[in-house]
Amino acid sequence: MAVTCLGVRELLPELAIGVLAPAERDEVERHLRWCAGCRKEASELGQAAATFAFALAPVPVPHGLGERIVERVRHVAGGPGTPRRARTSAASIVAAMVAVASLGWGAAMAGRAERFEDRANRAERETAEALERFVTQIQNLVPPGQDLPEEQFHLGPMVPTAEGQGGGAVLQLVSPNFLDFSMVIVNGLDPQATNRLPYRVQLLNVAGQVLRAGRIAELDADGGAEVFHQFANKDLSGYSTVRVLDADGVVVLTGGIEGNPSGP
Amino acid sequence: MEGLLAGNEDAVRQLYARYARPIFTLGLRLLGSAEAAEELTQDVFLAAWRKAARFDPARGRLSTWLMTIAHNLAVDRLRRETGVTKPHLVLVDEVPETLSADEDEPLMERDAAIRALESLSDAEKRLLARAYFGGLTAREIAQDDGIPLGTVKTRLRTALIKVRRANQDKEWP
Repeated sequence: MAVTCLGVRELLPELAIGVLAPAERDEVERHLRWCAGCRKEASELGQAAATFAFALAPVPVPHGLGERIVERVRHVAGGPGTPRRARTSAASIVAAMVAVASLGWGAAMAGRAERFEDRANRAERETAEALERFVTQIQNLVPPGQDLPEEQFHLGPMVPTAEGQGGGAVLQLVSPNFLDFSMVIVNGLDPQATNRLPYRVQLLNVAGQVLRAGRIAELDADGGAEVFHQFANKDLSGYSTVRVLDADGVVVLTGGIEGNPSGP
Repeated sequence: MEGLLAGNEDAVRQLYARYARPIFTLGLRLLGSAEAAEELTQDVFLAAWRKAARFDPARGRLSTWLMTIAHNLAVDRLRRETGVTKPHLVLVDEVPETLSADEDEPLMERDAAIRALESLSDAEKRLLARAYFGGLTAREIAQDDGIPLGTVKTRLRTALIKVRRANQDKEWP
């Protein structure tokens, strides 16, 4: 599998043309989440490939197709404030979260592994920009006439314990109107240590009560994984500690979520 | 895009008015039937609505983003239907080289695209067409032509870079 920039760039033409095998495509796209240089190259080649589509002689579209599309979007979007809308919003935020955490990890790796100051600075700038986009996207997700305050989202870092390595981030939505969810992203766990799988993700409140927030059955080549869990019947208020445990129950990552309100 | 993020129907209609034709055209060319092309067009706009938060104008044009979604969805569908990579092949002469005189609303994108493709040799156009419209991987092309895989990859890359350079300095929406 291609995980270096050199290997990834060899695959970018086929990614742009859309003929890369799904497994390779996933691998390349994971790399693109944090590598700005390859991402720029991929974007430019993608634009070049799309040129072919625009060069085709256009044919008329079927009558009424536009209204059928609007109706389908309306149906899928559902009514404002419904659980369906909440799930859709969560999915969008998850995408932003992946970008934020991946870039953060890219910055850490750039500083630690390669020690190229300019690269680290660039990664930090990208992280800041991604965070800004993240906040903007949350604001954009508020349906007209509704209020989904930014303070209902809580973000926190995760750090390794003495027995662990790597890092991560956690995002929570704690809302009176929408289904609460948690999104945990880890990176830098040892992908070779398969005996430590599966990892379990837990949320804890001050009373020591534990909620299961997901399970990591496998890691990618960077020792990374994402876990999303939506809580249909549970209020996440007060569950402000997150931890990741290996198969033996050893805590390898832990973190706190700032701003999570106290539970009832 | 902000309207699309908020599920605004007018935003969907505006996108449709501008991009439905090239998307439907691509679907018809790749999938071979108006019915499949309509399904694809619907899927593209639905995917655009779902993925709107991921669109980043700093990373590419909206038109490219939509067309990439369309192409990926079409190729995925063909692979699902055939089980393996797609045997479908579009003849190279279906790739237009000049604007038709009877086109009443030639798109700015099409005009620019045709001019960009003029930077390619016939062999390069044929190669890209086999991959982009035929859905053939570099490995499949190498096997068909009996040439090294690395050679095909290099040629694909060279052709795309030529188009990219030709696209530079052009103002697409």
